[in-house]
Amino acid sequence: MNVMMECTNLNKSYGRTDAVRQLDLRLEENTVYGLLGRNGAGKTTLLNMMTGGIFPDSGTIKVGGAPLGPGETPKDTCYIREKNFHFGGAKVIEILQIASAFHPNWDWDFANELVRTFKLNPNKKMRQLSRGMESLVGNIVGLASRAPLTIYDEPVLGLDVLMREKFYSVLMEDYALNPRTILLSTHLIDEISKVVERVYILEAGNILLHDDVDNIRTQSFMLTGSNEALDQFTRGKRVIYKESYGKGSLAAVYDRIGEDERLQASKMGISVDGLPLQKFFAYFIEGSGHVE
Amino acid sequence: MAIFDDGQPIFQQIAHMIEDDILNGTYREDDQIISMAQFASTFQINPATVVKGIALLVNEGILYKKRGLGMYVAADARKIILSKRRDRFYNELVSKLLDEAEKLDMTYEDVIDMIKQKKGS
Repeated sequence: MNVMMECTNLNKSYGRTDAVRQLDLRLEENTVYGLLGRNGAGKTTLLNMMTGGIFPDSGTIKVGGAPLGPGETPKDTCYIREKNFHFGGAKVIEILQIASAFHPNWDWDFANELVRTFKLNPNKKMRQLSRGMESLVGNIVGLASRAPLTIYDEPVLGLDVLMREKFYSVLMEDYALNPRTILLSTHLIDEISKVVERVYILEAGNILLHDDVDNIRTQSFMLTGSNEALDQFTRGKRVIYKESYGKGSLAAVYDRIGEDERLQASKMGISVDGLPLQKFFAYFIEGSGHVE
Repeated sequence: MAIFDDGQPIFQQIAHMIEDDILNGTYREDDQIISMAQFASTFQINPATVVKGIALLVNEGILYKKRGLGMYVAADARKIILSKRRDRFYNELVSKLLDEAEKLDMTYEDVIDMIKQKKGS
């Protein structure tokens, strides 16, 4: 697959704080990525560098093979910021008109349909919109731009559950019909676990892990049982988190557990359950500090 | 909205859902199943996952592709699914049932009695 964007050894600090350090990330063609991290992990700093808003202290960003220079913005990219609009006085329709001028693949029919789907009033001024509606205007721009690379920073902020589901529906349908590269940066993890194919987990400015969601889904488990049995069973396995309570413990394992091993676990009185992505993320981040 | 289990790949669960719809008669022989985009939209799921699930069923001869039109239910789909699911029923569910019965100190006869009782109730 063609590489759309590649970040190599990126570093960025503000004063003494390293916002992003030694960061590698690669976005391939026609794939949906998730950038997961807690608040303050460095997600927005990274996105701002990828889209040319700020320049890294060191490291390179290549877009379609060509390095991104200072002050340059990547071609064919649509970036939907978390706080999007400096034009509080502009109407929704004017925001869409401005966006349409920047994006050659812009689809007005689709944009108008989305305005109706999300029940936005095109003549309202941006500053009159609720947080959720503001997110929706950004999402409409992201969808209708049909840019080969679309980056959303916290796209569902302020949206109620119905609107979030509607957004993911439209996003997935449109992606099926018009494949492109999409990066969703969010701290709302469970919601996007079915939507994204690959995730990057960012913590303290560094990528802790990147993997296919399917791999994580089929290779992450929560085991509970007696301390002794668990110790024995998890020997040689990658344990990302462990916690004891009295004689029992729980262990989060990020490794293969085959059918015969499940049987063995059951005989040892260990229960084996799948781990939701959100839980995996929490254990992985918490465990990365103290467990090998 | 369908809920997907953790610990099992979603594409397998998609395949399972389509199989269920064939078993319960929602889809009959030579019916067209919903498109990849409709699937993605309805379940808010990545289309690549849908494609993987459908590919699984194509490989097993349960679905077939009409070029440019979409995916259709094969003539033998029901038969194939029934035989596969019966194998799995035996290998997984029956084994689990007997394992659990053993843990609870139940005899084979106890289990049979329970099944008869349930069936009659």
